[in-house]
This record gives sequence, C-alpha cells and structure tokens, in this order.
Amino acid sequence: MNDVRLGLSLARERLRGKTAPLVLLLSCATLFAIGVLERQTDAASAPDDALGGAAYGIALPLLAYLVSERVCASERLQRSADSLARYGTDRRAAVLGLLLASASCTAVVGVLLSVATLLGAHGLHSKALGADLRACVGIGLIAGAVYALYFGAASLLGKRGGGRKWALIIDFVLGAGSSALAAPWPRGHVRNLLGGEPVVALSQTSAWLALALIGVACVISSLLKTPE
Amino acid sequence: MSELRFEALNHVELVNVNANFSAGSHVVVGSERDGTGTLIALAAGMLDPARGRVLLDGIAPYSDARTRGRIASLFATETLLPAPDVARALALSLRARGDARSALSVLDEAGLTRFAKQRVSSLTAREGRAIALSIALSQLAPTLLALHEPLSVADILQEEFVLRTLNERSAAGAIVLCTASRLEDATRLGGNTSALERGSWLGPGQARPPLSNITLRVHTTEPRRLAARLSEAPDISGVEWAGGQELLVHGRELDSLAHSVVANARAEAIRITALKQDAPPLEALAAARAGLAQAYYERERGERRQQ
Repeated sequence: MNDVRLGLSLARERLRGKTAPLVLLLSCATLFAIGVLERQTDAASAPDDALGGAAYGIALPLLAYLVSERVCASERLQRSADSLARYGTDRRAAVLGLLLASASCTAVVGVLLSVATLLGAHGLHSKALGADLRACVGIGLIAGAVYALYFGAASLLGKRGGGRKWALIIDFVLGAGSSALAAPWPRGHVRNLLGGEPVVALSQTSAWLALALIGVACVISSLLKTPE
Repeated sequence: MSELRFEALNHVELVNVNANFSAGSHVVVGSERDGTGTLIALAAGMLDPARGRVLLDGIAPYSDARTRGRIASLFATETLLPAPDVARALALSLRARGDARSALSVLDEAGLTRFAKQRVSSLTAREGRAIALSIALSQLAPTLLALHEPLSVADILQEEFVLRTLNERSAAGAIVLCTASRLEDATRLGGNTSALERGSWLGPGQARPPLSNITLRVHTTEPRRLAARLSEAPDISGVEWAGGQELLVHGRELDSLAHSVVANARAEAIRITALKQDAPPLEALAAARAGLAQAYYERERGERRQQ
C-alpha cells in the first residue's frame, strides 16, 4: 500500500508545474468558445455537437495522452517507476499508483471540459444546463479515467512508450466507426453515452460496462507486464 | 556471507561476463564504453539482462523489490526524483527506502547542505551524481553498494568521506562494487581489481600480471647465427625462427630485451636491419591496465602499512 502511495506521490510531482493547469485552462476556454459558436449556429444541437466533437472527440483524448506522457516521464510504463524501484519499491504497486493518479487527474479534466463546453453551448440561463451537467459529470469521469488507463497500457509498447501515439491514432481511426472494430477502443462507447451512434448496436448501459471493461483490462495488462 | 554473481551475462556492451563478488571491496577498471555503466545498472537490478543472470544471494534483483532495497547504487547518469527542490527529492527517496531520517541530516552528513533548497532542475549532471552518491552512502547496512565512478565527483563530495564510508560498509560485510576509468581512482578505491575491456571481462587472475611477455621482431641477414646466440642469453625467454630473415624474440622487459638483442648481435658482428616491438593483443593491454591498478594499489597499501 505504501508503494502505491509512493507511485501517487511520484505522479503528483511529475504533474506539478504551471504547464498542466495552463493547458487545461486554454482547453476549457477554447471549448467554451466552440460551444458559444455552435449555439449561434444551431442552439438545439449545440451541446451534442460541441461535446461529441471538440470536447470528447478531440480535447479529452489529447489531454489524456499528454497526462499519460507526463506521468510516465516519456518512458515505457514498466520503466516509469524505476526511479522509485531502485530504492526497493515494488514496480507493480508504484505503477498502479501512477495509473490511479493519471486516471483521477484525467477524470477531473473530463468533467471540467464538459462543464466548459456546456456553459458555452447552453448559456448560463438555459433550463437544460443543469440536467446536461449532471449527465456529463458521470460520462466525463469514466471517459477521462478510461482514456488515462488506455494510454497507460499502450505505454507498455515501444522503446520509450511509443505505443501511446499509436493508441491515440488507432482510437481516432478505428474508434470513429460503429462496427466490431470500434469495440475495443474507448471513443465509440463514449460517443454512445453522449447520445451518438452506438458501437455494434450496444445499449448505453452496455457502453458503460464496455468502458469499465476496457479500463479494467488495461489495468490488469499493465500490472501483468510490469516486473516486481 | 553475501554474494553477487554474474552468470554468462550478455547485455549491450557486455559479452559473456562470468564473475562472483563476495563481501569486501572490488574495483572494475574500465570506461563506460567498456560496459561499466551497464554492469552497475544490472547489478542494481535496474536492467533485465538480455541473456544470462545477475543474482544477489541467489535472487535476481531486477524482479525482486526486497533485494533491490538492500542495494545502494550510483549510476553513470543520475536523475533525482522530481520535486521542487533537492531536499524534497531526497525526502521522497528516503521514504521509498523506508528510511525515517530527514533529508537535511543526510545532506549534512555528506557536507552537501548547500544544495538543500536548490531546484532539482538547476543541478548540473555532476551535482546530481554527488547527491545520488550521498543517498547511496547514507543507506544503513546495505548488502551491495554498486557505484559507478564514485570518485569522479570528489570535488563536490569529499573524497575522504566517500572512502571512509566505503571502508566502513565493506568492513560491515557489504559487497562494495565500484568502477573506475582512471587507474588513480582504482588505486584509491582499493580492493580486488578486475577489468572490462570492450565488454569482455578480465577477472583478478587475468588482470593481475602486467604485460608479462614482450615480443620483438628482429630482421637480420644472419638469422640462424643470431638465433643461436640469443637462445643462450639469460634475459631472453625464447627465440622463434620460421625461416626467412625475421626472428621473434621473447622477453619480459622491453628495454633490457632490446639491449640484449643489440649487444649479442654486436658481439657476433651480425647486422640488424630492423627491430620493432610486436603489438600486444588487446586482451594483454587490458590485463596490463588492470595489473597496473593492482600494482599501484599494493604499493600504496604497503606505504600506508609502513607509516
């Protein structure tokens, strides 16, 4: 347990600095502006378009990728806890700490991105704002966490965790469809939760389960591939 | 009794390294290009060997956290744990080691308190290594100290402190494995000397004798007569003649061997047209380098005893 906490501390130190909050602030501001523009074009579909396109389609995967890159110190996941392992820390436990830290951080990012987008797309006095915010908090939390775990597991591949880049590209390309090819990647299921086209006609309840399954599979494979 | 064992180890530069280290001081002479950095990283359990095994008391440190906890290490390149300042980076390291001491006390003991409030990112590479060495030396009762060039930061971390601590750890039963690219450093570190030459391991037995066999190629118009004369000379250990005008003359010291060849040729009025030393093989050069380190060390130890 102490080793997991050490992993969490390491992740916190790696995320410390002005860059991460600045990037988050800029992303939120951009999404708010996109929401406002969408509202001016078509107020009825603005929340869905802004959330499904800019927020969850582009910003969240990119920010999750950046968080994962930073938490892993641009290394392979197995080696990202070496700086602690040399002192006798269990690599697996420390990696679990790193994954938990990046998952919780990206989950919060997911919520903040949703809030910024909805504020722009609805306007402050919209009646639907409250209901949409409530719905999006849960989606933001799970989508953010699963994307972080997904990129964490992808960091197992490549000399310096280059699998992360491939994971981003594959999620963009294959996850955009609705066939069985889109099932293993988070994008299609997140789209389903937002009211978009489902992957292999899965219900929204199944999409929650699918995301949870992807997250758990990523954690298990990360831990199995990491030596003690 | 602790034991560090390298078994048929192959990894990057290292080629089939087989070696055992028991408690006490050991120095491996060689540069980073020879594989000393890789050797230390493997010993500390930071790398998984491509082939072969590294075992500390029968357990591979790479896959056993508890074994790694008994190893204090200094690598060729050091990066402190991320933190706003050195003291907090050190505190995290101590926490990972399960050490209740404060970061300031560790820095103070090593005489590095001046770095406590410095930003980790502003440290030079050598300062980072000095602080990493202070962390390694502060570990109480380690089984193994695996240190890459510990005296290369002697201007930042006092050499006397480093040598005294290493002696204490060695006397307490730890395996102290250091590398040194400079013979002077190897001499000061003391202990059993081995060498790495382009990844090939030269154990203490091979490393001890300096160039024990010198060969001269002697070209003469009368090789048969000269060979007969040289074969009776006391400071010449052997003469080879395979026909032609060239003789291979073997001996122990270059100066006396050359002098003897010339003197004997003059005595018989035999003309020598060329005389040159045969280039020794790389293995012999490496052995000589390690042997010199051993010789320096023994001379210094003898002088200390006399004092």
